[in-house]
Amino acid sequence: MGILTTMKTCWRHRALIGALVTRQLNARYRGSILGFLWTFLNPIFLMLIYALVFRVYMRFDMDHYPAFVFAGLLPWIWFTTSMSEGTNSLIANGNLITRAMFPPEILPVVAVIANLMNFVFTIPVLLVVFLISGIPFGWQLAWLPVIVAIQCIFTLALTFLFAALNVPFRDVQHLLTNALTFWFFLCPILYPLERVPDILKPVALGNGMGTLVTSYQNIFVHQQGPGIAALFAMLFGSLLLLVLGDAVFRHYRDTFAEYL
Amino acid sequence: MPNALEVSHVSKRFRSHRQGAGYSTLKSLFLGKGRRQSAPPESYHQALTDVSLVVPKGEVHGVIGRNGSGKTTLLKLITGIYRPDEGSIRYEGRLASLIELGAGFHPDFTGRENALINGMVLGMTKREILDRMDTIIAYAEIEEFIDEPVRTYSTGMYMRLAFAIAVHVDPDVLLLDEILSVGDEQFARKCAHEIDRFRANGTTILIVSHDLEAVKRYCSHVIHLEGGRVRNEGSAADVVEAYRAQFAE
Repeated sequence: MGILTTMKTCWRHRALIGALVTRQLNARYRGSILGFLWTFLNPIFLMLIYALVFRVYMRFDMDHYPAFVFAGLLPWIWFTTSMSEGTNSLIANGNLITRAMFPPEILPVVAVIANLMNFVFTIPVLLVVFLISGIPFGWQLAWLPVIVAIQCIFTLALTFLFAALNVPFRDVQHLLTNALTFWFFLCPILYPLERVPDILKPVALGNGMGTLVTSYQNIFVHQQGPGIAALFAMLFGSLLLLVLGDAVFRHYRDTFAEYL
Repeated sequence: MPNALEVSHVSKRFRSHRQGAGYSTLKSLFLGKGRRQSAPPESYHQALTDVSLVVPKGEVHGVIGRNGSGKTTLLKLITGIYRPDEGSIRYEGRLASLIELGAGFHPDFTGRENALINGMVLGMTKREILDRMDTIIAYAEIEEFIDEPVRTYSTGMYMRLAFAIAVHVDPDVLLLDEILSVGDEQFARKCAHEIDRFRANGTTILIVSHDLEAVKRYCSHVIHLEGGRVRNEGSAADVVEAYRAQFAE
């Protein structure tokens, strides 16, 4: 199966993936005075803005609202940045693809892993926010690696798909930018799932990220299990999506150099 | 396989990037479904037609021809950057391809950081590069600048670093595109020295160049491409003289 070949290629080039991930993490804040601190500051500012608008202006009444928003915002940032960087990665590295024996499949992987690292680095900040809010930590936090792994598969699948389609059809990146904004508001990140009318709950959860976001909220905010059935379905769907995304990627792979 | 590199009956055509030829937007995909198969012939550019070449192990061969004759396309096909529409390409061992010196260098990163990634892109393992890093730096003669971002490098320093990485790859088959003629006198001498060393080590080399004197000096056998077809091939001296005579008319 194609996906196994892709995995083998990525494994063979794991050192190159590691070097490119390091480069991407370093490149993002190179030349800025606060440097890596921006990894923490960006989501904190975003959280504060949402807290101001929804908690103060809109009078949204919910306990620990900023912490709740933060728990959903961090995995969303990982997802959305991976998607936009990954989708552009082939075009951005066109000079490698057209001038060297460079395996293009590692570029979406680099985007997802680099942003995963950012996500992991911000988890301590999340824990601090929860300490300040006085929310206890439950043993359910042990689910975190499982949820992260599933999000990784889900994000990789979509990144492969869109990165490949974006090379011949440059409209994809613009469509994606809009879709991601829409997608963000469909997910129960700024509002709890209970506020969603029953009839629309399948939309809030079925978009994939909604299920993942509520899983994070469950283990962090509510000290509950992540919803094992939904998570299992999510894993299965993500694997299917990965096979599909990889198939599309392989379909276009040999023509990348001609379009770039 | 007695030959280190075999290219047999390779043809390659490109979709024209003219607007409306082929589909390059979603709109044209939906409106023009299936157009790709039935595209009129003029929306394609035939880059190579039925090109064959064979390089025996340890020999140095050359490819000459005017701009647009398909030389770089041929190297990119051998490298695996493009896939041939027809024909087949085989080579033995590790292949390194220098189509552009420093392909993928990131301007904000230091020479050392770029050397690591560029070396891996050229097919070295991380271990090999780290082991050879000091030799690479010494060879490039940029010891005091190696930890500065490459955007601060002069063109010469940039090329010396890129070339230094490339010559430490130790390939079995080496493809060189026009790098003989990019630098100054000293750089050209270094290139010459490296090609001699590679040849002595039994590396098989295919050189694409406009520098006819260099081609005559290094290559035992030369192919002259014209309009994507092999127009002439034979001993370096004969093919180069015939090529020159063509312009003397």
